[in-house]
Amino acid sequence: MEVLLAVASGMLYAAGIYLMLRRRLAQLIIGLGLLSNGTNLLIFTAGGLTRARPPVVPDGSDTLVPPYADPVPQALVLTAIVIGFGLLAFSLVLAHRVHAISGSDDVDDVGRAG
Amino acid sequence: MKALVLPILVPLSTAALLMLAPPRPLLQRWISLVGSILLLVSAIVIFVRVEAAGVQVLHVGGWAAPFGITIVADLLSAMLVVAVGVVGVAVTGVAFAGVDPRREAFGYHPLMQILLMGVAGAFLTGDLFNLYVWFEVMLVASFVLMALHRTGEQVEAAFKYVTINLVASSIFLTALGLLYGAAGTLNMADLARIWPTLRTPGTDAVLAVLFLIAFSIKAGLFPLFFWLPASYHTPPAAIGAAFAGLLTKVGVYALVRTFTLLFPDARVELFALLLAMSAATMAIGLVAAMSERDFRRILSFNLVGHIGYTTVSLALLTPAALAGAIFYVLHHIVVITNLFLVSGVLLRLRRTTDMARLGGLYRSQPLFAGLAMIPLFSLAGVPPLSGFLGKLAILNGTFAAGAYWLGGLVLAVGLLTLLSMARTWADGFWRPAGDARDMMAPGTPLLVAIAALSVVTLAMTIWAEPLFDLTSRSAEQLLRRDEYVRAVLGEGP
Amino acid sequence: MLVYLILSPFAVAVFAAWLLQRHPNRAGILAAWPAVVALVLANELRLTGEGGARLVELPWAPSLGLSLSFNLDGLGLLFATIITTVGALVVLYASRYLAGHPQAGRFYASLFAFMGAMLGVALSDNLLTLFVFWELTGFTSFLLIGFDHERDEARAAAIQALIVTGAGGLALLAAGVLLLDVSGTTSLSAMAANRASIAAHPFYGAIAALVLLAAFTKSAQVPFHFWLPNAMAAPTPVSAYLHSATMVKAGVYLIARMTPALGGTAAWTAAVTAAGAATMLLGAYRSVQETDMKRILAYSTVSALGVLTMLLGIGTREAVVAALVYLVAHAGYKGALFLVAGAIDHETGTRDVTVLGGLRRAMPRTALAGGAAALSMAGLPLTLGFVAKDGAYEALLHGGGWGPWLLAATVLASVLLGLAGLLAGVLPFLGRGRPEDAEVHEPGWPLWVPPFVLAGAGVLAGLVPSLLNGTLSSAAASILGAPVDLRLAVWHGLTPALTLSVLTLAGVVAAYGLRRTIASRTWKPATGTERLYAAGLAGLDRVSRAIGPSLHSASLRSYVMVIVVASILAGGSALVGTRGFAVSVPVTVVGVHELLVLLVILAGALGTIIARSTMAAVLSLGAVGYGVATMFLFFGAPDLAMTQFSVETLTVLIYVLVFRHFRGLGTLSPRLVRLRDAFIAIGIGTLIGGLVLSVATTDTAPRLREYFVEFGPTLGHGRNIVNVILVDFRAFDTLAEITVLATAAIGVRALLRLASDRTEGEPAHLPTSSIFRTAARHLMPLLLLFSIFLLLRGHNEPGGGFVGGLVAAAAFSLYGIAYGLEHARRALLVRPLTLLGAGLLVALASGFPAILRAQPFLTAQWLLDPVAIGTPTLFDVGVYLVVTGVVLMMVFNLAEES
Repeated sequence: MEVLLAVASGMLYAAGIYLMLRRRLAQLIIGLGLLSNGTNLLIFTAGGLTRARPPVVPDGSDTLVPPYADPVPQALVLTAIVIGFGLLAFSLVLAHRVHAISGSDDVDDVGRAG
Repeated sequence: MKALVLPILVPLSTAALLMLAPPRPLLQRWISLVGSILLLVSAIVIFVRVEAAGVQVLHVGGWAAPFGITIVADLLSAMLVVAVGVVGVAVTGVAFAGVDPRREAFGYHPLMQILLMGVAGAFLTGDLFNLYVWFEVMLVASFVLMALHRTGEQVEAAFKYVTINLVASSIFLTALGLLYGAAGTLNMADLARIWPTLRTPGTDAVLAVLFLIAFSIKAGLFPLFFWLPASYHTPPAAIGAAFAGLLTKVGVYALVRTFTLLFPDARVELFALLLAMSAATMAIGLVAAMSERDFRRILSFNLVGHIGYTTVSLALLTPAALAGAIFYVLHHIVVITNLFLVSGVLLRLRRTTDMARLGGLYRSQPLFAGLAMIPLFSLAGVPPLSGFLGKLAILNGTFAAGAYWLGGLVLAVGLLTLLSMARTWADGFWRPAGDARDMMAPGTPLLVAIAALSVVTLAMTIWAEPLFDLTSRSAEQLLRRDEYVRAVLGEGP
Repeated sequence: MLVYLILSPFAVAVFAAWLLQRHPNRAGILAAWPAVVALVLANELRLTGEGGARLVELPWAPSLGLSLSFNLDGLGLLFATIITTVGALVVLYASRYLAGHPQAGRFYASLFAFMGAMLGVALSDNLLTLFVFWELTGFTSFLLIGFDHERDEARAAAIQALIVTGAGGLALLAAGVLLLDVSGTTSLSAMAANRASIAAHPFYGAIAALVLLAAFTKSAQVPFHFWLPNAMAAPTPVSAYLHSATMVKAGVYLIARMTPALGGTAAWTAAVTAAGAATMLLGAYRSVQETDMKRILAYSTVSALGVLTMLLGIGTREAVVAALVYLVAHAGYKGALFLVAGAIDHETGTRDVTVLGGLRRAMPRTALAGGAAALSMAGLPLTLGFVAKDGAYEALLHGGGWGPWLLAATVLASVLLGLAGLLAGVLPFLGRGRPEDAEVHEPGWPLWVPPFVLAGAGVLAGLVPSLLNGTLSSAAASILGAPVDLRLAVWHGLTPALTLSVLTLAGVVAAYGLRRTIASRTWKPATGTERLYAAGLAGLDRVSRAIGPSLHSASLRSYVMVIVVASILAGGSALVGTRGFAVSVPVTVVGVHELLVLLVILAGALGTIIARSTMAAVLSLGAVGYGVATMFLFFGAPDLAMTQFSVETLTVLIYVLVFRHFRGLGTLSPRLVRLRDAFIAIGIGTLIGGLVLSVATTDTAPRLREYFVEFGPTLGHGRNIVNVILVDFRAFDTLAEITVLATAAIGVRALLRLASDRTEGEPAHLPTSSIFRTAARHLMPLLLLFSIFLLLRGHNEPGGGFVGGLVAAAAFSLYGIAYGLEHARRALLVRPLTLLGAGLLVALASGFPAILRAQPFLTAQWLLDPVAIGTPTLFDVGVYLVVTGVVLMMVFNLAEES
């Protein structure tokens, strides 16, 4: 399974970068979204995979018997998802402003003069 | 040391208060300024303690390293946080000269505090993931400050800035995720111990390269610096001052921290790569500055070029070179911040920083011209000012390390900087104004801030010996590592 | 005490700026200070003759090799006395020359700063400190040359002088650092003691070359001489002071000063002698072709500097002594001639010797000074100029192999220099004057007394040269490193040198008669290096213009591409260098459901690429996001899944709101470009995929997770370990994270508001059915309750403040859709911004109780009875508030924007 998720992460990076190299503003932003998803999946997979045993200690017990999923990458991914969301939302609106101001959705028109 | 968290908490509390306080400009400016002063005071308190008693540590939440997040202040961090305080007071102080009312209504003051908090957090944290988070705090604040514009050129510059920095963040985060997978820890002191024992030679080499690339983008090294000259000339002066003074330095700091703590034993190719990038940065930055006709763009390219000074010294990894680099960073923070404030006066006087519309200021604004001369020629490395002392320290370092060609390059770049600043002075201040007229007064708060930062520069010049002593001790502390590691992890194996 | 005296001109500089502001006509009194300093230094010099050198020191930055240590030896004090004496006269002169000038304050400030720097050069025993003062002389002369800053040529000349001498200065710096390396000291006297080891060191050649480069640029030696005539753009007092008496001699001084440490080798002697001789000839030759008095004098100064350099290069006892006499003589007569030129210019408005004439009647005292100086320059017996030239000839007669050639060249140069002196100092006073000069009269005393004093001193010393014996002996001893007992005299008997002097004088007289022929027939050699300087700058600008735009104005895509390609190359080469990474592919069972979800992710990724409408692309992205969320669920991460689902939904919503405005996604790039990009993309994908695989298949150390699982329930009082990490173990991360979120929301709001010029809360009506409204009204409180439930249970079960906040925001958004946004805003009671600030404060406040108990910030405090409630709970409430505020801020503003 690690192989497959590794391939999936790689695919998401590849697709994200490919889109960021396109000239449409919208594609650039979609690419950023893919990159964010790819990174989250990467952190998750790199930390090691464990099926179906969330790191929640059952009520009444004070310990958890291995194997269980590593909670650390999960916490990291959670933080990363939230931060990624904030940044993505902001860049989306910024792209919108760029589009509104320049009247073009071609990235190559952005900041040519600047 | 409990107070270690204050440089982060003070600006955050200030920012939260500013969001809740009524949006009256004067009130907001005062709260912001008081917050910055408190930040500076707390930074000085920490510095005094670190200077006297060595590396200070705070385990946030009471969780011991490597399980919780640890804040660590060694000499480097402590000095840089003091610099954050100085820049913070300067840039929040100049708000009294007036801020675009629309910006002020949409969160200018809290954003500035959040920016300061992010930078202070990045300098103080001892946890690599936490460093990422502070990077993002600092970045998002800078994004918003940069993007609060109405004109096309500025918004488009902001878009470039945002996109490239997001790519850098992705690379950083990717490397972090992989690092946790490989090493199982995020605490930097812990990593310093575990890293050499990793048995994945290919992976750790690539990871080191990924960190190098991510931080080099932030620091503004060639060929990854484009976002900087593409955007730094657009925001208002106070924002530009904070950015130029602090943001790239965080990248440099991250490079210094990781290269001294995590990768000092990495393969020579990594250092060769850093060296080559730094050398190219110096040369290309200053050559590019020659043909620019906009004061802030000239500054941007100078800023880029001088980052190369510091990373070149880092790549040599000798105590003398590193001490020089730290000295230079401290000098540069003060001077480049000051120069962007100078550009703020130019903007008030002429509504532009285009050299073609400047000129005549030596005649019309003698006081301002006299003040501006100090940072201008300190940046140019004219003796005895701090820029020269920093350059000399770096030169001593490169020569002592046997890197004579690098020393020669540092000197050549210094000559280009001198030319760049002499031309700026001649065209901007000496040349007759033509039909350009000063539109308004330079603004007392700006002049006070410029004078204050100039005094700091002069103080760094006069008391160069104690300062250099500090940076030397800091460099030794960085290269010894064990003091840092022991302070964080305790006296364990 | 003496240290402060040496540094005192810097203080006077500040005082001068103040004084001129208050009393524009009192500049003359400033001359008193350098006069006092000159007396003290002259006294020191006299004592030196008896007792030997002494060192005074003030530490500055010794770790950097810098300290203000001054060596009061004969050579240094001789220079210092000249600097202050001429300085006092020039200040006096300038007080009239620049009387009433609005920027006179800056002039005197720069001039005194220059004087201080020059004293530092002359007296520093520390080579690096010498460099500091050296560069300061360059910088202050930049300010002085550019004093008349509104003229283009003044600014250009200022920059040229700064860069040419600055480049030389950097060579000196490099030499200083190298010498520190080689000899372990920056002290000049220590280096002199160490000369054998320095000369034997492999760096000797480089060091000597660098020192000479510095000296030659500063003292305008061929081929760097071109900046000096151009520097005549400076006001005349500056030319007299910097460009004849002091600064230009700094290079000569440096050669003299470094001779004990570096001199004596064949290479040194040859290089210095040759450069000096060439400069002497070229300068003398060019001086008689000029018509502007100042340019005549400038070229003749170049020539004189050549003579000095040549004599120091020869380095015999006689040559060194001759150089010192020549130096003193030159400071006197050339300074006087410059001041005379300035006085004439001041009175008549021109310096052109071809039109000036007959001024002896109108300006007799000036004429006397000019004539005396010119005759000293021509080497008339009973002037110091004669003694100097006589000494030079004497030295050359005994000067070894090249002696005859050098002697011939010197005689020729002396003839031309004599002519130059007469052109500048005598010709304007003779013959018939211009009609427009009829009204000209003697200038005020400050303009004629200083040249008179300088010229008179030359005559006095010429009559009684023994006056100089003591001082010059000790100066020569500093250079030669051995005691010198000098006996200067007017009459040495009938020596070959005297014959040559007579010959020279005859030549000068003949040349004066033929001056018109000489001026008209001469060929002007091109000064190649000046063109090189100009071409170098132009080339720099061209390169700069070529690369500049590509560094900031190229397409964003190309920048992204550079970064990605750099990552692939650097990362890939790191792999190649270490022969790949270890990847073991474990054979594990893959569930069908997992495979299906994986296919959804891949299809979604592909979909974003091939989509031709923005909506299709967004939906594909959504599919990817949901697929990833499902994966999280499959692999034991319910919290992640929950968060990812809700965030993805929100993201898609925002995408849709924004992308309404965008056109389709038809491709804009040619096929080849797409192929290249695909290649790059696959490259980065492969690198990342490989890295993930190599890391995921190695076992992660279990230390952290075991700690968290063990102490989460006991110390953290929570069974959902992920949540305990977020609000307790690593709450600091979360604190920063919600700050990011809050900031991003402020940014979104600001961007939209700035664009639309609206104020908060304008109505935007959405048509909705009454059934929906009723549903929404009942649903809202339920959703809010549910959100609080999620918040509270989060510590033990999946949930928490983040998801809770999202649900709460959803409740208000729903209400807004049903009743209009203004109602939703009203229902919220406070502004979203207030919610953000309050949430941040609550989260912050949850960390403070610990501080009261002297524990680190954010240390959890628990109240276990009746239910476990603690500051982490409060922290999560803060998260909840921030998230609610953030989402509402974004949604409200985006919806209102339409």
